[in-house]
Amino acid sequence: MIELHDIVVEYGNGARAVRAVDGVSLKVPPGGSLALIGPSGCGKTSLLYAIAGLLKPAVGEVTLEGKPLSGVGSRVALILQNAGLLPWKTVWQNANLSLLLAKEYPKKTATAALEEMGLLEVKDRYPTELSEGMKRRVGIARALATSPTVMLMDEPLASLDTLTKERIQDLFLTLWRKHRFSLILVTHDIEEAAFLGERIAVLSDRPARIKAVVDNPGMGELDYRGQEGFIATVSRLRSALEVGR
Amino acid sequence: MRRVLVSIGAKLRDRSFRGRIMMYAASVGILLLAWEIASLSIEAIKGRAFLPNPVRAIAEMVRLGPLLFKNFWISAWRLVMAILIAFFTGYPLGLLIGHERRLDQLISPMIYILYPIPQVAFILLLFLIFGIGSPVKVTIVAIALFFQLLVSARGAAKQIEEEYVTSVLSAGASRWQVYWHVILPATLPSILTSLRVSVGLGMAFLYIAETTGSFDPRRGGLGPFIKNNMYSGTQAFAGILAMAILGLALYIVIELIERFACRWKYVPRRPS
Repeated sequence: MIELHDIVVEYGNGARAVRAVDGVSLKVPPGGSLALIGPSGCGKTSLLYAIAGLLKPAVGEVTLEGKPLSGVGSRVALILQNAGLLPWKTVWQNANLSLLLAKEYPKKTATAALEEMGLLEVKDRYPTELSEGMKRRVGIARALATSPTVMLMDEPLASLDTLTKERIQDLFLTLWRKHRFSLILVTHDIEEAAFLGERIAVLSDRPARIKAVVDNPGMGELDYRGQEGFIATVSRLRSALEVGR
Repeated sequence: MRRVLVSIGAKLRDRSFRGRIMMYAASVGILLLAWEIASLSIEAIKGRAFLPNPVRAIAEMVRLGPLLFKNFWISAWRLVMAILIAFFTGYPLGLLIGHERRLDQLISPMIYILYPIPQVAFILLLFLIFGIGSPVKVTIVAIALFFQLLVSARGAAKQIEEEYVTSVLSAGASRWQVYWHVILPATLPSILTSLRVSVGLGMAFLYIAETTGSFDPRRGGLGPFIKNNMYSGTQAFAGILAMAILGLALYIVIELIERFACRWKYVPRRPS
C-alpha cells in the first residue's frame, strides 16, 4: 500500500513561498491504480515528484507498506512526459539506465522489457531515429526493467496523436494487469484517466487540493472505452472538474 | 591491418565520402588560386613580389624540410599541451560553476574580472618570473584558452534542458552520475565547437608567446622561424603555411573526436 499523508509542496522560502500542493492525502492498494487529474499547471506534477522523492514535501510524508518512501529506486519507477530519453544514449543504454545507476547492470538487463515492447531490433538506434510512439515504449521499457512495485507516470502520452495514444494506453493497461504494480498516473486527459484509473482523484486549481475522488470499478478491459461505465465516468469527471472553475 | 584496409576501401567506394573529399580539394584549390591572384596583383601594383606565390612557398617548404619540420613539432607540442591543459581544467570547472548555483555565485565575479584582461599583458611578467622556456609559453597559451573554454562550458551547462536532469534523477542518479550521464555528454558538442575556436586563438597566442620578449630562434618553434625570416618573404611564408597545416591537422583531430564522441548528432533524424 502506498499512502500520501497530508502532502504540502512549496517552491521558494518565507514570504515568497508559492504553494503548489496543499494537504493531499490518498491511498493506493498494492496492484491498484490511481489517476490524478486536474487543470494544466494545478500542481499534479509537483505532487507526483513529491511521491517520487524528486521534491521534498514541506509537510507530510509518503509511505510504502508503512515505511517512508525515500525516492525512486528499484521499487519505484517514474515515466516522464516525452519519455525522458537521453538523446546521446542508444535505446539499449536508455532502457538500462535505471539498472546501471542502481549498479545492477550488467547482472540484470532490460532485454526482457525491450522484447516485451518489441524494441530489441532497434536497440542500437538513437532516440532521434525513433517515432514518438517508439520513444514512449523505450521509456516504459526503462521503467519495467527494474521490476518496480510502484509505477509513477507524469502525463506519459502528452502530445501524441489519438491512435498512438490509445494504443499505448492499451499497452499500459495490459502491463498493469500482467505485472501487478501499483500505478499512479498524472494526466489532464479525462478519457485517459477514465481508462486507466481504478480511482480518479480530481484536483483543484493551484494549489492542488482534492476536489473529488471518483471510483471507476468497471475499468480494466481493453474494450472499456465503448462501455456505458466509461462514458458515465467521463461525464462525472467532467462535472467534477467544472465545479468551482 | 586487413580490417583497416577494407574499411578504407569501403570508405573510398562510398559516393558521399568521395564527394566530401572532392569538396575539400576544391576548397583548398580555391584558396590557392586566391593566393596566386593576390600575389600577382601585389606584384603588378608594387612592382615587387612581396607576397610569394603558393608554388614558391610550397617549394620552399620542401627545401627547408627538416628544419621546418623540427620547428613545426616544437610549436605543435606546445599548442597541443596548452589545449589539453586548458581543456582538462577549464571544461570541468566550467561545468561545475554552470550547474552548481552557489559555486557560480562565488566564482563568476572572479571570471568576469579576469576574462576581459588580455592575457598577453602578463607575458613579460611571466618571462621575468619563470624564464623563457617552453613551459612558460605553454602556460601563457593555456591561460588564454582556459578562460575561453571555462566560459563556454559554463554557458553550455546552464542551457541543459531540465528534463534530462529530471530523467536521470528519476532513474535514481546521484549528483556525480548526473554529471557523467547528462552534463558531460550534453555539453560536449558546444565545448568541441569552442575547442575549434580555441585552435585559432591558441595559434595567435602561441605566435605572440614564441616571439614577444623571448624572441630567441635557438629555442625553436614556428613563431621564431617566421619572425627570423620576415625579410625573406618566401621562407616566412613557408613557416606560415606550416602553421596553417598545424591548424588544419588540429581541426581534423577535433572533427574526428566529435564524430566518435557525439555519434548521436550524426544519425539521420526521423521526420516528425
